[in-house]
Amino acid sequence: MELKVFRSRPGMPGSRYDSFEIDPVPGMTVLAGLFKAQEKDDTLAFRYSCRGAVCGTCAMLINKVPRLACRTQLQALLEGKAPVQLSPYPALEVTVPWDAGKEVLIEPLPHLPVIRDLIVDMSLFFEYYRLIEPVFSPAGPGPERERLMSPAAVKELVPYTNCILCGACFGACPVNARNPHYLGPAALAALYRFCIDPREAGGTSRLRRADTPDGWWGCEFHTNCRRVCPKGVPPNIAIGRARKELKATGRSAGEMGGGR
Amino acid sequence: MGGTITAWDAVIIGGGLTGLRAALQVSRAGLSVAVISKVHPLRSHSVAAQGGMNAALGNVRGEGGAVDSWESHAYDTVKGSDYLADQDAVALMCREAPATVLELEHMGTVWSRLEDGKIAQRPFGGAGFPRTCYAEDRTGHNVLHTLYQQVLGRKIPVFEEFFVTSLVRSGGRCMGCTALEIMTGAVHGFASRATLLATGGFGRIFSRSTNALINTGDGVALALRAGAPLKDMEFVQFHPTTLYGTNILISEAARGEGGILVNRTGERFMERYASHALELAPRDVVARAIEEEIARGNGFDGGYVHLDLRHLGPGRIMERLPGIRQIAMDFAGVDPVEEPIPVQPGQHYSMGGIDVNIGGMSGLSDLYAAGECACISVHGANRLGGNSLLETVVFGRLVADSIVGDLPKIHESAMDTVESAMKETETEIREILGRSGGESPFALIRELEETMFLHFGIFREGQMMQEGLRKIRRLRERSLQVSMTNRDSAVNQALVRYLELEGMLQLAEVVALGALAREESRGSHTRRDHPHRDDRRFLAHTMATIEEGEVAIAYKPVTLGMFKVEERGY
Repeated sequence: MELKVFRSRPGMPGSRYDSFEIDPVPGMTVLAGLFKAQEKDDTLAFRYSCRGAVCGTCAMLINKVPRLACRTQLQALLEGKAPVQLSPYPALEVTVPWDAGKEVLIEPLPHLPVIRDLIVDMSLFFEYYRLIEPVFSPAGPGPERERLMSPAAVKELVPYTNCILCGACFGACPVNARNPHYLGPAALAALYRFCIDPREAGGTSRLRRADTPDGWWGCEFHTNCRRVCPKGVPPNIAIGRARKELKATGRSAGEMGGGR
Repeated sequence: MGGTITAWDAVIIGGGLTGLRAALQVSRAGLSVAVISKVHPLRSHSVAAQGGMNAALGNVRGEGGAVDSWESHAYDTVKGSDYLADQDAVALMCREAPATVLELEHMGTVWSRLEDGKIAQRPFGGAGFPRTCYAEDRTGHNVLHTLYQQVLGRKIPVFEEFFVTSLVRSGGRCMGCTALEIMTGAVHGFASRATLLATGGFGRIFSRSTNALINTGDGVALALRAGAPLKDMEFVQFHPTTLYGTNILISEAARGEGGILVNRTGERFMERYASHALELAPRDVVARAIEEEIARGNGFDGGYVHLDLRHLGPGRIMERLPGIRQIAMDFAGVDPVEEPIPVQPGQHYSMGGIDVNIGGMSGLSDLYAAGECACISVHGANRLGGNSLLETVVFGRLVADSIVGDLPKIHESAMDTVESAMKETETEIREILGRSGGESPFALIRELEETMFLHFGIFREGQMMQEGLRKIRRLRERSLQVSMTNRDSAVNQALVRYLELEGMLQLAEVVALGALAREESRGSHTRRDHPHRDDRRFLAHTMATIEEGEVAIAYKPVTLGMFKVEERGY
C-alpha cells in the first residue's frame, strides 16, 4: 500500500503529494506509517507525542476525515471500514488522483495555516480557546475540604471535560471553513463545560461570553464535530442547549446580531 | 537565525504537571517566569496518566472501618520503595497529599465522586487503604487541563515547541539555557536567576515503553552535561500491564477495580507470587511474576498473559474504566466487556533522575529539578501507583516555593554569557547538519531502545549487562556519524531526534553502569546473579557524574528515621 502525503514547506511555492510505499503489519496506525515514511525521507514533518490517542497532537485529514493519526489503522482505511459521512466543505473535495483501495491520503488539518507538510499552526484554535476564558471561577474562596458534587453532576460534565483539544472538530466544521472568526466547536464545548459546573459562581451567565454571531449563533448543526471527535465530545449538544438557555433569559445579543 | 535573549527570575523547562504547577506558584509570588516546552503543554506525557493520585483523605474507609492517615501512606510508600526512598521526602509528600488533591479540586478538576459528594478513592497496588483519588481513568488529562487553564488565566508566557539545547553554566552556577525554536530554527537564549527542570522521565531509551514518544529524558541529560549528579538511575519501573502489541498503558486501576491476571492455562497465577495482595502487590512484584510466567511457557504465543475484567460487568467497566476500554478496542481490537485484555510488562517510569535535596536544588547552584526528571527520592527502588501524579503537583509547588525563597540571594544572570552559549549552540547545530557519515538517527534510536530492553530489562545479569554496555558505547560512536538529508534548521525533526539521541545515549550508559555496580536485587532492579537485597552494601543511593568525560559512580546514604528497614513481603 501507499501513503499519499501532502507536502509543503516555508518558501516553497504551492504544494505537492508524495507517495510512500508501506508494508502494513496488522494493527499498524497511520502514525506508525508516517514514521516509516520519515525514515525514507527525513524532511517529512508531522507532530506526535503520546501515540495512544490521549494527548491530541496528531489530528490530520486522513482519507478526507479529520482524525488522530495514532488512533487510525491503515488496514481499516483500505478496507473502507467505519466510514465517516461528513457535511461537505471545500477541504473535502478530492483534488488529486487517489485510489482509496490502495492509497491512504494524508493531509494537514484544514482551516489552519500549514507550517510544513502535516504541521499546522494551531494558534488560532488556541486563541479561541483562550477567548472563552476557560478558567474555573467558583463562588467564593475554597472551603477547607472539597466542594461536594454529586456523581450525577460529574456525569453531565465528563462528556465535555473529555475534550483533548486536538482540533479535529475545528478542521471538520463547515462554518470554520467559511468564517475564520467562528470560535469553533471545541472552544464552545469548553465554555459550556464551565457553565454547567455546579461549583461555578457564574453558571449560565458565562454563556454570554460567546453570545455573538461568531459564538453560539454561528453553528449550523452540521454535527461534523461530533462525528469526528476521537473522544465522543458532543459540541453540537452544548451549543443547542446554550442557545436554548440564552433564549429563555430573553437577553441574547448574538441572535439579535443575526446569526449567520 | 535571529534568536532573541530574554531575562527572567525563573525559567521552567517542561510544561507537564510539575512545570505548570511550579509556574503558577512562581507567578503568584509576583516574579517573572517563563515555561519552555518541546511540545504544547497539553501534549506532555502527564496527560496520559490514568489511574489517580494518592492522598489519605479518608473518604473511603479501609478494612474493618479503619481510617487512612498520611503516616500509613508514608509507610506503604517506603515499603514499596524497598526502603531506598528518603523518608523525610516521603513524609513531606504524604503530609501534603490531601491538601494537593483539594487544591486541584478548588482549581476546578472534576474528580470522580462518591454518593455523598466527596472525592472518590479506590484501592491501588501496595496500598493499605483505598487511597487513590481519580477522575475516571483519565486523571492526568483532567489535572493537566486544569493547571493549563490556570496558567492561561495568569497569562504566564509559554514557549511552545522550543527544544532546550544546553544549560548555561558559568562561575559554578546555572545562568539559564539556550533553546532551539523547532518551527523556525532560531536559537534563543534565556537568562534566568533560577532554572527548574521539569522534563519528565527517560522511558523512551527502552523499547516496549508505555511512555509518550517525547519522553527521551532531555532534562536529565542536560543536568548531567552541566555537571549536576544523577541518582539511582538503574531503577526503572516496568509496569505489569501494558497492551500487547503497542505497550500502551493499561492502568493499575483495572486491577484496583477487581481485574485479575490469568495465564495460558487459565490459572490466577498471582496466588503463587503474592498470596495476600495478589494482583495488587506492587508493580515490581507483579511485573516479575508475569515475566516469569511467560519465561516458563505459561504465557500466550508472542509473550503475554490475560487481564480479565469481564466479571466486573459492563456497568462498572464503562463507568470506572471507560478510557481503558477504549484503548483496548482501538489498539487491540478487544472489548474488555467481552474478552480478556492481552497484556505484558513494559517500561513505565524512571525512579531515578537528577539528584536534588528536599528543597529541589540540584548539585549545581541555581538549578532545581522536580517531578519524574528529579530524584528527591520519594520512590526509591520501586514507585507505587498513584504516587507519581502526586509527586508532580506536590513538588511542583514546594520546589517553586524554595525557588521563591532563594531568589533574593541569587544574582541576575549575565546576558553576555548566555549570548556566547547561543553562538556555541548555533555552531554545534551547523556542525551536526553538515555531517555525512551515513548513519540514521531513527535507526540508532531503535537499536538503543532494543538494547536497553534486552540487556537491562526486568531481569538483569552481569554478563548480559556488560554486553549491553559495549553495545551502547558502539552506538555512541556511530551516533557521531549521523547524516540527514534535511539540512534545514527549521522544522527539522531528524535534527530534534538526533539531539534527543545524544542525551539518551548518555543516560543509557549511566543506567548500565549503575545497574552493573549494584550487585543486589532491590525493588525494580532484579539481578539473576545477585537475587537478594544487600542492605550492608547497597542501602544507598547510586550517584553518577561525568568526570573527565567518563561516568563515575559513587554512593550516598539513604535518609531513614521514620520506619525500620525490614524484609518486604506482600
